[in-house]
Amino acid sequence: MRWTRTIGLGLVLPVGLIVLWQVASYRDWINSLFYPPPWDVMQRTWEQVRDGDLLSDGRITAVRLLWGFVLGAAPGLVVGLAAGISRTVRELTYPLATALYVVPRIAMLPLVLVALGIGDEARVFMVAFSVFFIIFFSALSGVEQVDRSYIDAARAFGAGRIRLAVSVLLPGAAPAVFSGMRVAIGFALIVIVGTEFLAANDGLGARIWTSYQIFDFPTMYSGIIAVTILGVLLAWALLAIEWLMVPWRR
Amino acid sequence: MPSQEGLSIRGLAVSYGGANGLRAVEGLDLNVKNGSFHAILGPSGCGKSTLLKALAGLIPALRGAFLKPGDGSVAYVPQGNSCFPWLRARENVAYGLQLRGVGRSERLKRSDALLASLGLSGFARMYPGQLSEGMRQRVAIARAFAVDAPLLLMDEPLSALDFQTKVGVQNELIQLWSERRCTVLYVTHDIDEALALADRISVFSARPGRVIQTIDVPFPRPRDYVRLREQPGYGTVFRDLFESLESR
Repeated sequence: MRWTRTIGLGLVLPVGLIVLWQVASYRDWINSLFYPPPWDVMQRTWEQVRDGDLLSDGRITAVRLLWGFVLGAAPGLVVGLAAGISRTVRELTYPLATALYVVPRIAMLPLVLVALGIGDEARVFMVAFSVFFIIFFSALSGVEQVDRSYIDAARAFGAGRIRLAVSVLLPGAAPAVFSGMRVAIGFALIVIVGTEFLAANDGLGARIWTSYQIFDFPTMYSGIIAVTILGVLLAWALLAIEWLMVPWRR
Repeated sequence: MPSQEGLSIRGLAVSYGGANGLRAVEGLDLNVKNGSFHAILGPSGCGKSTLLKALAGLIPALRGAFLKPGDGSVAYVPQGNSCFPWLRARENVAYGLQLRGVGRSERLKRSDALLASLGLSGFARMYPGQLSEGMRQRVAIARAFAVDAPLLLMDEPLSALDFQTKVGVQNELIQLWSERRCTVLYVTHDIDEALALADRISVFSARPGRVIQTIDVPFPRPRDYVRLREQPGYGTVFRDLFESLESR
């Protein structure tokens, strides 16, 4: 069957790499202290899942990430759509947004820690700050890319500014906004893990960083696996929301 | 302003891109009889589409005036695919009715009836992306007819269709128009299409556009797009229009 072939082919490379890693580590082709056999990593991961430590850190990271995503995406969407619709709002916001967008996120961390202290507020803000600009620009360009013929048709039927925005510009920009959200969720994960590396005692980033510092490499790898699973789950959740909210793109 | 006499345009000048932009239409005079199907024929870039946009209220006129038929409201079919991709076919057709405050059940009922008359009853719940190009243009035409506006502006609505589909949609368009008898201003660059559809044809000059010739189409209705060419005098009228276009 076609789907079994597709899944089978997709598994060939990852399974092959894991087997190669296992053999290389087992036969000491690579340093098994830094690159422990996958079987050991899986055993350690399972132990930490049973202890509840890994799930607890995963939950902490997920909560920070989701709060940051929502607090960044919501205003990013509103301001981005407003900038797409209104030239005044665009001229007001675009220069500052462009300047701040290019600042490397992690370079902002010391300033954010000074302003908000070493707490979850700072970690959530770091994520929100990153997400805001991605959603802002995707919403703005989504509105700008709405086909002129849709706008003309609506205006000729008598649609005013508000009706035009609600019935044409917002749905017309939705695909671009969701594309931006897919990019933003990946950025959010990078930023929260990076922030937890440097400014947290819990969460998956802190777990990975701490285990690296004490040479507990199986735990470090289990943290990386957990981050990967979290990223995949978030991407799937976003796809499900897009499937529901943008049905004409199915 | 509304008029009982059809569409009347006097000394109209329209620029594309503001007062200092490209002058698309200059000194345009045109009379379109109430309830008639009037084609505008002209080469690309001669201001045909700009005229329709000005009449639809999308671009301001620089000079001149026009009187629209009935209550002054218009329905407009823009060039290209103008069906909203995020609305199902029946919701697309009902869009103008929604803006006019018609209740949901009533507007969907009218929308479904229009789609059925165009042979699309089985496709009412589909999105435009799931329809063929010909079906999408039928939906756009149904949307324009749904609001019962006294003036219908159509900008090359069938130019992207293959020959057979185009002939089919033309017949359906004429059927809808015959039932409603609104005033239609139909832009095309296709002489055969203008002769098949219109009561009168006005030929536009090159930019800035103005009317250089208007003829009454001498062929009786109903017209068959293919057999129309066998009518006596078809070749003469065709050549006359072609030479007008060439002399622009």
